[in-house]
Amino acid sequence: MGKAAAVKTPQLSMGKRKAEKKKRDWHSITFQALFLLPALAFLIIFMYYPIIETFRTSLYQTTGFGPARFIGFQNYARLFASEEFRTGFVNVLAWAFWSVVIQIPLAFYIAFTLVVYKTRITGFLRAVYYLASVMPSAITAMLGRFIFAPTFGVISSLANRLEWKWLASIDFLGNPNIAFWSLFAMATWAYTGFSIVYFMANIEQIPMEIRESAQLDGANLWQYARYIAIPMVAYPIRIIAIISTVGSLKLFDLPWLITGGGPVYATTTLAIILYKQGFVNWQYGRAAAVGVIIFLLSLIFTIAQFSFQRKSGELD
Amino acid sequence: MNHYAATEAYSRKLRSSRRWTLAIKIINIVILIILALAVVLPILLPWFFVFKTRLEFSYSPWSLPTQIRWTNFQEAWVAIKIGQGLLNTLWVCLGAIAGTVPAAAMAGYIFARYRSKVTEVLFYAVLVGYFIPVHMVLIPLYQFSSRVGLADTLPGLFLPMAAFGIPFWTIIYRSFFRGLPGELAEAARIDGAGHTGTFFRIMLPLANPATVLAVLLVFIGAWSDYLLSLILINNPNLFTMQLRIAQFLNQYGTDHMPRYAAASVIAAAPTLLLYIFGHRWIIRGTLAGALKG
Repeated sequence: MGKAAAVKTPQLSMGKRKAEKKKRDWHSITFQALFLLPALAFLIIFMYYPIIETFRTSLYQTTGFGPARFIGFQNYARLFASEEFRTGFVNVLAWAFWSVVIQIPLAFYIAFTLVVYKTRITGFLRAVYYLASVMPSAITAMLGRFIFAPTFGVISSLANRLEWKWLASIDFLGNPNIAFWSLFAMATWAYTGFSIVYFMANIEQIPMEIRESAQLDGANLWQYARYIAIPMVAYPIRIIAIISTVGSLKLFDLPWLITGGGPVYATTTLAIILYKQGFVNWQYGRAAAVGVIIFLLSLIFTIAQFSFQRKSGELD
Repeated sequence: MNHYAATEAYSRKLRSSRRWTLAIKIINIVILIILALAVVLPILLPWFFVFKTRLEFSYSPWSLPTQIRWTNFQEAWVAIKIGQGLLNTLWVCLGAIAGTVPAAAMAGYIFARYRSKVTEVLFYAVLVGYFIPVHMVLIPLYQFSSRVGLADTLPGLFLPMAAFGIPFWTIIYRSFFRGLPGELAEAARIDGAGHTGTFFRIMLPLANPATVLAVLLVFIGAWSDYLLSLILINNPNLFTMQLRIAQFLNQYGTDHMPRYAAASVIAAAPTLLLYIFGHRWIIRGTLAGALKG
């Protein structure tokens, strides 16, 4: 990145008459405007304008048809007063917390061992771990049902075959205490591939000499990971932590398709509440308020990302 | 201790710990293999069902199929109109590619080569878009589409999809064009090529690697989309593959599992095949975004 910044903008040859130059500048500006127009038009129509609208709508009581009534911050107040919203809010934060605590160490372990042991097997395995991440989420959700469904699901079929009654009797998707973890397992399956690939690329950038000298000093692999590799990829680890957290705030596909947010509110998320308020109950104002809350939360985490970046910017 | 003694001591230590090192290596590789199986096996699950009749499925869902029959595929194809679904999804993918890639390439080029106060500010405006969650705009987007007649049309789906892809790919194209030598553009300029000619004849062909990545990843993203399609498409004839898969259970219930599995195998095939044959590219593209975003 640093190298690219040094490349200079092409400059027109100097020493021409002023009128000529002005004409050229005019050409250049028209060209720039024309080339920027499609991208900016897309963003203004489908992103910036709707964002402003979301903020405005969140202050109204409206169903999208008929007159809208200005009600100030009542939509927000009602949301925080409802049990469903509070559960969803806690769920996404818990989800964010556990994805940092469980998925990141797992991804780091896989990436680290793949890089450290260079054999034919690990060379082949590298490509495998990202496979789950290219599955469409509707399919991942279906696979989740195949695995966790009562009676015909993989786990309960296997438990019945082995006559492990305790395992066969667990309702992975219907028990409010367990459903969250069944979904979390599916999400770990689907979303960890990216972190693995990202960590691998960063661990590989640690110079070979550092590893060799660590070996000469008698450091074993654990010590190498603990005292050299982890500190050296601390910045990528934080980036992944932010990405996972922001991703958790937006969680929709898997919980919606596997459990529909239930049983009761056990696996509901902010995005599910937005969808239900907006497109089931037709409470546009309240749905927009959920959108604003998701946006503000991601903004907080994104600002955190940038402040990390500034602190250790030279590492990248 | 002189140098020789140090190496001697080191190699003695190395010998004694070599067996341990090997044992740990084997344990770790076995764990890696088990985890890799945990990734791959679920993807194979539908294949247990797709060749079975409903009766076979209800008696022994997880036995190996006794006979290869393709009737489930045929029936699923007819039942949820997979042909129509694939065609719709293909249109959405092509539309998303056509909307995202040229706009991002052009904007990225300007941001890389025509740097001024104005373009810097505009670049930051685009960069901000990278961090906007699509959930933030769902409600107004839906209202807006209804007002301008884009509701329940495929362009109504792929245009916003493209808008949300543009910031990311603009960033990628920008850093790609900045990495290209500036002398090339100048040489073309001296040869009399205008701004447009320089871009289309010299710079864009040089950015082919970025373009291949963009096309691949935008395709995969559009193919897999669920949330936007769910909200913006209501007409069953326009349902994409993912919507059809998700609707299947509601329409037919669990007693048509073999058909459902067959349909999902078809729906997942394109992205899986693309990954199997192009994983190098796909991983590199994913990383390009992460390292530079």
